[in-house]
Parts: sequence; structure tokens; C-alpha cells
Amino acid sequence: MRRRIVPYFLLGPGTIWLVVFFVVPLFYMAKLSLNAGVLGENLHFNWQWSNYSEALSAYDTQFFRSFLYAGTATLLALLISYPLAYTIAFKAGRWRNALLFAVIAPFFTTYLIRTIAWETILSDESPVTELLHTIGLAPSGHVLATGPAVIAGLTYNFLPFMILPIYASLERIDEGLIEAAKDLYASAAQAFWRVTLPLSAPGIVAGTLLTFIPAAGDYVNAQFLGGVGNRMIGNVIQSLYLSQADYPSAAALSFVLMALIMIAVVVYIRFAGSEALMGEEAQ
Amino acid sequence: MGKCDSKKHPGALSVAAVVAAFAVALGLTACGGGGGGIEGGGEKEAPKVKLEGKPSGSLTISNWPLYIDKGTVPAFEKATAVKVKYIEDINSNEEFFNKMQPLLSRGESGGRSIFVLADYMVAKMHQLGYLQELDKSALPNVERNLSASLKHPGFDPNRSYTVPWQSGMTGLIVNTQKAPDARSICDLFDPKYKGKVDMLNEVREAVPLTMKCEGVDPNQASEADWMKAIEKIKAAAESGQIRRFTGNDYARDLTSGDAVAVMGWSGDAVQLQEDNPNLEWRMPEEGCMLWSEDMVIPVGAPNPTAAEAWMDFVYEPKVQANIAEYVNYVTPVEGVKPVLAKRNPALAENQLIFPSASFTKRCSATPVIEGEEEQKVLKAFNAVLNG
Repeated sequence: MRRRIVPYFLLGPGTIWLVVFFVVPLFYMAKLSLNAGVLGENLHFNWQWSNYSEALSAYDTQFFRSFLYAGTATLLALLISYPLAYTIAFKAGRWRNALLFAVIAPFFTTYLIRTIAWETILSDESPVTELLHTIGLAPSGHVLATGPAVIAGLTYNFLPFMILPIYASLERIDEGLIEAAKDLYASAAQAFWRVTLPLSAPGIVAGTLLTFIPAAGDYVNAQFLGGVGNRMIGNVIQSLYLSQADYPSAAALSFVLMALIMIAVVVYIRFAGSEALMGEEAQ
Repeated sequence: MGKCDSKKHPGALSVAAVVAAFAVALGLTACGGGGGGIEGGGEKEAPKVKLEGKPSGSLTISNWPLYIDKGTVPAFEKATAVKVKYIEDINSNEEFFNKMQPLLSRGESGGRSIFVLADYMVAKMHQLGYLQELDKSALPNVERNLSASLKHPGFDPNRSYTVPWQSGMTGLIVNTQKAPDARSICDLFDPKYKGKVDMLNEVREAVPLTMKCEGVDPNQASEADWMKAIEKIKAAAESGQIRRFTGNDYARDLTSGDAVAVMGWSGDAVQLQEDNPNLEWRMPEEGCMLWSEDMVIPVGAPNPTAAEAWMDFVYEPKVQANIAEYVNYVTPVEGVKPVLAKRNPALAENQLIFPSASFTKRCSATPVIEGEEEQKVLKAFNAVLNG
């Protein structure tokens, strides 16, 4: 009997945490999303499902934009991370720990400060912007306060979340397998495509999820690096809560965002295969 | 809960713990304002401040950033033995109100005894019954020194629940090297400055100033005038004319050169000049917007006695002179000019601190929009902000 209780005890803290800080707030937010009226002016529960349809039709542009920005940032982060993680895992030798440290080092500064630093890096008169302008990548002469600046910020801020899982999955690969592939007359490229890449798939899937999900709901990058016409859905939710006191619409938008992300993730995992996410255990 | 406890078999303990935690959480969130707390509203009778002897104890003041010099708080603590917690947590009238509203509707002030908010916002809070009437017997300096022009505003004709903190003007802040010719609000819409213009994200300032460019008096404006001005802003935003909508953060764009002409507040320019001497506040050719921000005592405020002592203290001309010298906004206190004239004659002649009637003759007061019209205008303006 005693043994049966142990798992409950172990699950206890996590369950309580989730219930108190996730399930209960979620319940109140769901209730709020079906309220009618605005804060201070007769806000009341009314099964107001129209909050959902209205929020979705009023802010479809921002939804689309959020997914576009987050998707582009995730793709860029993947393209940057994979070669980097590969190098750290297989080629770095004694520099491996130093390089890993360099990947994690930005976390010693807060997210906000790092984003604000990009304001300076991309500001109109900075050497970076002038260079981009000269080589024709910034025809208008400004990068800051544009969509690409927001995407750049998202990519930069979530890069470690992509690098680390990919590194972890690459690092676990038995190099004997790659050697075996080569013994069986696979070229280096074939060995990579048919052995290394499939074995690192769990890292790629985990990395893309860890990047895409927070990036889609992010509002800090759009706030600091974006300008007119670059606001993401997170900014809209923040403005509905704080400047317009339209709590029901804001809550409804949060749920729509959650649902859309969930759908995207399910489709993605279906497509990528759940064993890719879970690794060997699921097979 | 009693029911859960009565079941006694192995394993029930953890189940009970989860149920208990759930119940506690429900209780917590219910108290936390998720449920009934944020409902309500309507007109209420305002309570009145109850004074208790000499000011003592501690006092928490909420104000905007960089809105006071470094010496005034310590001087007040020394003069009264009140311990002050001065927090700069107000960045936007709407945001502050929406954060505090759930507390205020339950008669709590979050431990704060004084807020400093714009005229229209304190008027709204008063209507909702969130503010206390002041006891004027503890405010002799305010009675004596409050500038005559501020004594009888429309929203509080006898200043029964507000004491002005500072007034100011909203106009242009310009980089005199890069946009020497930007002299009117209309110039902000000149393609010459495309992508180099910031506009305020405050609906009650950005839209009326745009109306002035259109030749409409904001205080006579119809809903159609508001919408037309918002359309103009929208077109400028979509064409890339406006770089971004900002609050105080236009400061960053101006000092880095990313913006060359913005809508801005009069006091800010003087502080910005320290970073970039080419920045200058200009009275737009169409005139400016005039505003005031007031100290108020919210319902449930602890230690209102000390709060009134503070209000009265900053109406001492010598104390106010220090604040005026630092913040460079229009001071609401009479008798500051002679004090500053002795200390710093240039400052006493500064039109931003002591504007003459001819300087502000084309300026307008913050227009009143309420009810359904306000909702419509806010919605349209926010749609532009969220582009």
C-alpha cells in the first residue's frame, strides 16, 4: 500500500502548482472571456460567445502576422542552430564547454535588456544599418521599427532554446553508427542525411516547439523593435487588457491564440511523427 | 471540506490535499479579483478624508517617472517625521487605472495614499466613487498659493477632491539640425520626414492635435471630427510616414536620431537637451494642448493625514521651486517665480515653466469625450495603434 502512495506524493507538488497557477486562472479567464461589457461599466457573465468571433475577425491580421513572424524566426533559428550545434557536438573538441557557455551566456542578462540593446544595434545611424543600406538590404534606410527587425529580435532571443535541444540530441548519437554507415560505403553527405539527421530529429522537434510557441505569443520584440503595422497578437492582448479595459475580448483572444497554437503543434507533431518528439521511448 | 476529511483510507490523504489546494486556490482567486471584484461601477457618494492629529507614520505616493527632484521627499521626511515610499509606477493613465480598478472597486488603494493622474482620469474616478473628498483645513498653502487659473476647473469646480501636481503643454519636439523647418503639427505629415516622425499613443492628445492641423477646434469637435482626424493618422501610419506610436519612449528615438520631429511634452525637452543639445520643444503654429495632472487620495488610502500634509508641503513656493527647476513643467503654485528669479533668472523667464497668455493663446484644453462616443473613438484609435 505504502508504495502506491509514493507516486502521488511525487506528483503532488507539480499537480498543486499546475492547479493553482494554471487550471484555476484558466477557468477564470474562460469565464471572463464570456462576459459582456467592459471593466468598470457593468461587466457581467452572459455566455457572450460573440466575443470570440468578434475578436477573431477584428484581429485576424495580427494573428496571421504573429504566426508569420514566429514561423520565420523559428526557421531562421533552425538554420542558424543546426550547424552550430553540430559543430559543438562533433567538431569543437576541447572548446565544447566554452562554446556551450557562450550559447547560455546571454541568459545572464535579462530578456528585456537584450531586446533594448537591439534597438541600439539596429538604430538608423548605426554601422549595421548603414552596411545593410549600402548592400541594398535596407532600401528605406531604416531597419528598426520594421517587421524584419521584430523577426531578427525573435530569432536572437529564442536561439538558445533551439540550439540546446538539438545539441543534446546530437551529442547522444553513437559515432559508431556514423562509422558503420561509412563502412557500408555511404558518403559523408549520405551518412548525415540517413543517420545523423534522423537521429537528431527529436532535438529539432523540441527546439522548434520551444521557439515557435513563445515566439507566437511574444509582445516584447514587437514593442521595442517594431513600428507601425508590426504589432503582434500579444501586443493586442496587452492593449486590450491594460489600455482599453476590454477584459472579455482580451481573454477570448488569449484562448483563440492558445487553441491555434495547439492545433499548429498537433499538426506539426503528426507530420513530424510523435517518435521524433519522444525519441526512442515511443518506438 | 469536512466531507473530504472524513474519508480515511490510504491514498485519500493526497487526494484530499489536492482538493484542499484546489479549494484554497478557488478562494484565493475569488479574493484576487478574478470574479466579482471587477464588476460594479455607477455613481457613488465620495467619502471624506478623516484627519487624525499630526502627520506621522508612513506614506506611499504613486507618481510618474522623473516627475520630482531628488531633494523634496527627504525634505518632507525631515520636516514631518513621516516616512515616504515614493514609487514611480504610473506610465499611462489608462494602464494605471485598469490595474488599480479591481482594488478600488472594493474600496482598497493597494497601500497607496496618493495618485497623480490627468484631469479626465481623476474626473472619471470621482464619478465611480474611487476618490476621497479633501479636508481643506489641512491645506492652507494650497488655498493660498494655487494658481488662480486652476482654482475652478469644470470637473472639480471647488477643487474639493483634487490638488494639481503640474501642468504642461503638448506640442512638438524637434531636432533643430535635421528638421529645422518643422513648426506645425501639419509638418509631421510632410513626406519630407517620412519614417522619422513619432506620434503620441494618448488618444486625448494625438487626435486633438491632428484636428488642430485640420483647422478644427478640439473642444467643439463632433464625433465625425474625431473620426476624420483618426483617419488622417491612420493614413499616415499605413504610408510609413509615422515611425511608431510612443509615450515617453520618444526620448530614445529623438536622442538616437531615429526620429527628427515628434509630438511631445514640454518638460521633457529640457531634460533631453542634456543628451542632445539640438532637441527643442516648439509651440506648434496651430497651438498646443494644455493639460494638468492632479494629486488625489483614493478610497481606502492609509494615512490620509500624512497625504494631505504632503499636498500642502509641495505648495510651499520654496519647495515647489525645486520641483519646477527639475521637471520644467508649468507649475501650479503662485510665488515660485520670484524664488526662481533669485536663484536662476533664465529659468524664471522660461516660457515652458511660466508661459505667458500670448504664448499659449492658440492652445486648447484637453477635450471631454465620454460614454459611447469615447468607446467608439478609443476603439478606432486603438485599431490604428495595433495596425
